[in-house]
Amino acid sequence: MPPRVCLIVPRTRLDTTRVGLDIVEPFGIINHMVLDRSPKLDRVFHALAHPARRAIIRQLSGGERNLSELASPLRMTFPAATKHVRVLERAMLVRRRIVGREHVCRLSAEPLKDAMLWTEEFHQHWEARFDALDTLLDEMKSEEVRPRRR
Amino acid sequence: MHHSGLQLSTPSDSTIVLTRTFNAPRRLVWEATFTPDKMRRWMEPPPGLTMTVCECDPRVGGALTVQWKTDEADPAMTLHGVFTEVVERERAVHTETMVLPTGETIGKLVETHEFAEKDNVTTMRITQTYDAKEARDGAIASGMDEGMEACYERLEALITDRA
Repeated sequence: MPPRVCLIVPRTRLDTTRVGLDIVEPFGIINHMVLDRSPKLDRVFHALAHPARRAIIRQLSGGERNLSELASPLRMTFPAATKHVRVLERAMLVRRRIVGREHVCRLSAEPLKDAMLWTEEFHQHWEARFDALDTLLDEMKSEEVRPRRR
Repeated sequence: MHHSGLQLSTPSDSTIVLTRTFNAPRRLVWEATFTPDKMRRWMEPPPGLTMTVCECDPRVGGALTVQWKTDEADPAMTLHGVFTEVVERERAVHTETMVLPTGETIGKLVETHEFAEKDNVTTMRITQTYDAKEARDGAIASGMDEGMEACYERLEALITDRA
């Protein structure tokens, strides 16, 4: 039931290889609670919470793009695209450098690691609970079939 | 994501829906979900935390209280909730507030449980609606749907390159 602070699962259940993570330090409860309440992570999730910004991330995962290259497939004005890129920059998901008159954006995937861990753990936490509920329900069913004699 | 029966969906930015099917009549699923000595069995605490208190009174106005301790702190965390809507074995709505021993609230949501039975198989649907301010939890949603999934493979290469 508590969704945010009880997301810790045994380390071994996390398939970190799938996302190429070379970590992971042993996470303790405190670390997780810190992660749960991290403003850094808030900014990452906020940045991901808009389809245009996810589209920008997707584009940038193919390599560097300048602002107008990012704006045009989104059918977006330059200022609108700039606004979204700023949100991504605040989340440290995008780095921007100015080359002449061009603003070149580059994806910085690092902050997604924590976001992905958090998401995986949310899923696994509930799976573990529901698996335990399966076991309990099986017991309850067999109790009903063979009620205990007193 | 690995899907073994549990389905997650995110109908809005502040809502997460968990759907899971159980091979049992809903009478039993209801009982297991809201009876304290049963809840202790499946509401697995994270490693390091131990459940110390579990009270649940699934009637309108009834309270839900769960408390955990660690080696260092007892209590380490408390969940307070109140049932606002109950149709026995069918539907229950309760609030949920997570509180630290300092009194600080660290999470707030409304949770709706719905139970549907067919041929002795029960589908339980849990809808979690987060405080609008809890941007993270809502956004997990959208991230899970498209953005992050779509990026995984490319990101793998990028992260590996950077390591």
